[in-house]
Amino acid sequence: MSDPFLLLGIARRPLLDPEEVGSAYRRLAGELHPDQASGDVSKFRELGESAAILKDPARRLRELAGGSQASGGSSLPPEASDLFPKVAGILQQADSLLEKQSTATNVLAKALLVTPLRKLTNDLERVSSHLESWKSTLDQELQRVDQEWPEHGTPTPTALTALRRLADSFTFAGRWELQLRNRKLAIEATLG
Amino acid sequence: MIAGIDLGTTNSLIGVYDSGFPTLLADREGNRLTPSVVFYGEKGEVLVGREATRMHALCPGRTVSSVKRLIGRRHGEEGTGGLMGARGTAVTITLGGGTLTPEEVSSEILKKLKAIAEERLGTTVNRAVITVPAYFNDAQRAATRKAGELAGFTVERILSEPTAAALAYGLERLSENSKVAVYDFGGGTFDLSILQLDNGVFQVLSTHGDTRLGGDDLDEAIAGLLASKAQLKETSLETGIRLREAARAAKEALSEEEAVVVRLPFLQEGKSIEIPLTRPEIETVCAPIIRRTGAHCHRALEDAGLSATQLDEVILVGGSTRMPLVQQLAAEIFGKQPNLTQHPDEAVALGAILQGAILEGNLRNVALLDVTPLSLGIETFGGLMNVIIPRNTTIPAKAGEMFTNAVAGQSGMKITVLQGERELAADNWVLGSFEIPFSPSPKGAARVGVQFSIDADGILQVLARDTTSGKEQVVEIKSAVEVSDKAVEAMLAGSLEHAFEDMDARIFTEARLKAEEMLPAVEAALTQLGSELPEAEITEIHKQTTEVTAALGTKETSRLKQALAALDQATQTLATRLMERAMG
Repeated sequence: MSDPFLLLGIARRPLLDPEEVGSAYRRLAGELHPDQASGDVSKFRELGESAAILKDPARRLRELAGGSQASGGSSLPPEASDLFPKVAGILQQADSLLEKQSTATNVLAKALLVTPLRKLTNDLERVSSHLESWKSTLDQELQRVDQEWPEHGTPTPTALTALRRLADSFTFAGRWELQLRNRKLAIEATLG
Repeated sequence: MIAGIDLGTTNSLIGVYDSGFPTLLADREGNRLTPSVVFYGEKGEVLVGREATRMHALCPGRTVSSVKRLIGRRHGEEGTGGLMGARGTAVTITLGGGTLTPEEVSSEILKKLKAIAEERLGTTVNRAVITVPAYFNDAQRAATRKAGELAGFTVERILSEPTAAALAYGLERLSENSKVAVYDFGGGTFDLSILQLDNGVFQVLSTHGDTRLGGDDLDEAIAGLLASKAQLKETSLETGIRLREAARAAKEALSEEEAVVVRLPFLQEGKSIEIPLTRPEIETVCAPIIRRTGAHCHRALEDAGLSATQLDEVILVGGSTRMPLVQQLAAEIFGKQPNLTQHPDEAVALGAILQGAILEGNLRNVALLDVTPLSLGIETFGGLMNVIIPRNTTIPAKAGEMFTNAVAGQSGMKITVLQGERELAADNWVLGSFEIPFSPSPKGAARVGVQFSIDADGILQVLARDTTSGKEQVVEIKSAVEVSDKAVEAMLAGSLEHAFEDMDARIFTEARLKAEEMLPAVEAALTQLGSELPEAEITEIHKQTTEVTAALGTKETSRLKQALAALDQATQTLATRLMERAMG
């Protein structure tokens, strides 16, 4: 796999403009799509994979930190240790209520679950906003790392370690965000 | 020449690219829409389209409609409840003593379209782009492709319907850069796709939908309304079909008018009925069904990382979007007036024709970047789904995973391939499974790379490569459509034995479980709301709960089922009030 930054013609930095990635991707994908005379299916797939890496902060930072996409045994970052039980707890509650809702066979039993489900939606919102505030500190951290990023040459080992740690945090934040969102959408779908 | 085909639930269309323009082809009577209805006569004759529609009410047992709702589906999935068959086996259609697959029935529709095109053009047409709902899964796409092949086509592409419609919309706006949503509400399916149009590149950002949500469901609801207004209790198959046909006609008429009178002469037992129906009446029964599209729209927006205000246009296509209420609710969901410039029935077919032109090199500087609607993964230890290709990944796409032997000399390993969005493997659609072969080696020394690739049709292919020997092989996935006859027979035999064991006991158990769920729910609901109900209603509810309890004691299946139905009926207002109060 070649350098995703190079492939899309984007400067090799921690922070980038997603719009710029999207528009570079579309321009190149339009040429490389296998339906086109100039198309090349393996280059097209590689382009897609590269764009996906650049758009996801966790994957992008790992790429910058040394190219390996394997998460280096990512452990729970200490700043997130009070968030984890909140997320896990609410997910469990959501799953058990959604399970009850989906196995209920009569309207009455379903109607009785509406109030608890609505309360759960509020609780999910609350945990989500905790997560959001953690994510915004991560974004600030990312900006700081980006400002200190050398214009040329190699970054220092300390900078690389910081990058990997930040990548791990983004991985957790991203996963939890997705899980919370899926529950919210599932509840929305059952409540209509 | 590559034809573009919209193989719809209700109607189908065919067309070709002709001197720079997409052109739809009409049959001898001048109709571009061919009803997706197939009639199988006693002497083996097959009629398709309008001729088949005429036979529908006369010989319902020999006519198949809305076959698209069955294609690529297996028994035991939602929406296959009324069909007989063993769980997990491919759905088949029993008709006049014979058995047909949905692919075979669909291929008759495609053959008819092929004949229409060949007659119009005076030449053979044997290559085609066929559209499917964006939310069709792997098996449904593969089955549609097979139907095309059975009809004698080389299927050049399976294309998502909303993507096709976006192409038809965007052809005159190739220099623009904009974000659009395509709200595609057809006869049997609903899709919502969000696209970015950027200088001739059509990139699908996200898609969501329901392959069992369409105009058919609205017809069903209106038919129910007609039956209750006519005070029909039991309806025969023939009556049901006539009611649904009348419902559809009334629905279509009420898109233009405020009120109609539905006349059904000699409907049942020589009784003719005449029912006045107004637009607000059908809107009341249809609204909950149409509202279900909202959740899909929100999901697609979330997946695209956009808010509704960031969309430049919301384009409506599909026959159901003619209904004023659908237009109104779509406007509510997105907070803007929808774009009605595209022909609801023809936009998808036009897009299919344009995709054919792209493939032939006749339409340059236009590229479609479509996505896979559902995540693809494998089952891991502990029964979880490990996502390998996430949903909304641009296709063609591929991803790999490396496997090794857990014990020395292990000859292979079974991998189960899943498609869907749930975390538990069991909640997702099982596409099938395959064996990875290991060459004999010490523990952990065998290395087999498995590559999952989704082609431009959205269909999965699996390739296994032994990295020590360098040997590569295409792995065959045993999917629902490919299950061998023997395996099906074995499964059927198993289920039949089971079924004869004790049918009545099973039905009673099901009813008992329902009662055990219902009784405490009634009690809880009465505690919450009992004081607000009229005395008569409470008395009625108590009467029916007593009857359910009594029936449970006597173990009479039919009595219990009747009692449960009566209790359901008696608590309807209670449930509605409860819902209203909870929703504030």
